[in-house]
Amino acid sequence: MKYFKLVWRNIFRSPLRAFMTLVLMAVIFFFVATLLSILELFDRFEDQGQGANRLVVQSAISLANPLPYSYEQKLRAVPGVEDVAKMQWIGAYYKEKKNFFAVFAIDHDRMQTVFDDYKIDAKEFEAFKNDRQGAIVGSDLIDRFHWKIGDRITLTRQIFPYDPELTIRGVYHHSINTASLYYHMDYHNESIPSMMKDHVNTFWLKVKDTSKMAAISQEIDASMKNSEFPTETVTEKQFQATFMAMMGNIKLLFGGICACAVVMVILLAAITMSMSARERVTEIGVLKAIGFTQGKLMALMLTEFSLLTLIGGALGVFGAKLICTILPIAKITQGFLVGFTIFPATMAIALSASVVVGLIAGGWPASAATRMSVVNALRRVV
Amino acid sequence: MALVEIQNVHKVYKRDSFEVPVLNGISLSVPQGDFLALMGPSGSGKTTLLNLIAGIDHPTSGKIVVDGKEISNFSETALAGWRARHIGFIFQMYNLLPVLNAFENVELPLLLTKLSKKERREHVESALRIVDLADRMRHYPRQLSGGQEQRVAIARAIVTDPTILVADEPTGDLDAKNAADTLELLRRLNEEFQKTIVMVTHDPKAADSARHTLHLEKGVVIEGAYGIAESARA
Repeated sequence: MKYFKLVWRNIFRSPLRAFMTLVLMAVIFFFVATLLSILELFDRFEDQGQGANRLVVQSAISLANPLPYSYEQKLRAVPGVEDVAKMQWIGAYYKEKKNFFAVFAIDHDRMQTVFDDYKIDAKEFEAFKNDRQGAIVGSDLIDRFHWKIGDRITLTRQIFPYDPELTIRGVYHHSINTASLYYHMDYHNESIPSMMKDHVNTFWLKVKDTSKMAAISQEIDASMKNSEFPTETVTEKQFQATFMAMMGNIKLLFGGICACAVVMVILLAAITMSMSARERVTEIGVLKAIGFTQGKLMALMLTEFSLLTLIGGALGVFGAKLICTILPIAKITQGFLVGFTIFPATMAIALSASVVVGLIAGGWPASAATRMSVVNALRRVV
Repeated sequence: MALVEIQNVHKVYKRDSFEVPVLNGISLSVPQGDFLALMGPSGSGKTTLLNLIAGIDHPTSGKIVVDGKEISNFSETALAGWRARHIGFIFQMYNLLPVLNAFENVELPLLLTKLSKKERREHVESALRIVDLADRMRHYPRQLSGGQEQRVAIARAIVTDPTILVADEPTGDLDAKNAADTLELLRRLNEEFQKTIVMVTHDPKAADSARHTLHLEKGVVIEGAYGIAESARA
């Protein structure tokens, strides 16, 4: 700690240079933290079914190919299956196309067994069950559209030939999925043409023992293999991952942008730190003359450089966190980034990266400056 | 008793493929408590000799013993520790750190010791009192005159109570008044505090402040005290 004053003063010896470096670091790490948090959000989306011991049965041909209702009884008869719920993705929006979010028809009476990780007030759930046109919505949707329980809403069709007219009966709470709407499968089935009736695109299975999920999947797919509607049974995590895959390799893109940004900031910081080290060669010579070892000076300079980049990185990361807290990100991104924040793990990674930037960018300049002999360093002006 | 013993020291610098001899077999001894001035034209080797005595450069051959220790064989790290304990530096351009005030500049060498904060403060205040700058300890170098900066540099040099003070043209950047004050201060340190001082200078007036003077030319001692005849003859 007795060297802290020396380190701190050296950071700000050239206020303009320090300011520019801090701004550079803050801007870069603002974006790094934001992009990494988006990736983290996607991971969480994929992981939302992890541990929920649910399997998803869909058509082996494609998700767009429906499966008949009759499969429900066959699936229920598979040993190890605790309960089954039909679920149909609706693909509708509220008032304007930009107000697009996930809408599903579901077996309402199976929700509490198959989707027991979704928490809902008992009275609200009872009201939902008793209203054929009732709906439950995620907490973020309520905030986004300023809905309240009892509101009547009409969704606009995109796939099925009817506009769902619903009454909000309850709000569900879930750790990750906070922006979906669920209504009765019966209402959906009665509203579609007869040729489409009694078909659904997914069955969701609650299994008793997670260790047997793979065996159950194989058994289901094997038994349906030669039927008119062959199935593909996957875990919920795998099912969500296929949706992420539809977005293209966005993870690689975002990861690549982060890596490029960090490399750029290392190069730019290295220029700044080289200037800082070069203009201090005589001072370093003086410090070596009065007894500072090369190792100690190197440690002091690296502490200085990494502290500078850490401060800049922290400004960017906490700035991003502040903005995420203040601004309604879900609304701004039209529901694309629901539940978005700068996650603690991401903050830790970004802040660690900012320290590493200082160490890498400052390593060579510090080494070159401190390696110089005292005589050569002092000769600059003496 | 000799504090510094230099025996047949040679120093050759390499410049690209050329070898430039700077010191050619110098031998001398500096007694404890002396104030020695090294004079000579540019390129005579006086600063190189000072650097070798101060342990910031290695001789190409020969032996340098300071206070009973042969420093010519020390590693860089060992030399750094040795310098911290035994050498106080005074430079022509003062070389204070601009980001630190007078107190903090003087405190720098003490950071390498195990002294407590309170002890360090006492040492620094004492050193600044000796150079008559106790009232300027919170001033930064840019807020001080050249003479005051050099006095802060002298306080930094003496704060660890080193065995030897080495001064390289300490008055070279000062006006006549400040140069005289600086030399008076060095003389006081030598006479009142028995500090051994080795000073390089071009200025005959500065050399007059010293007890002894050695003249170097082309890497050998040509005139002065301590049996220099041997190296001059060589």
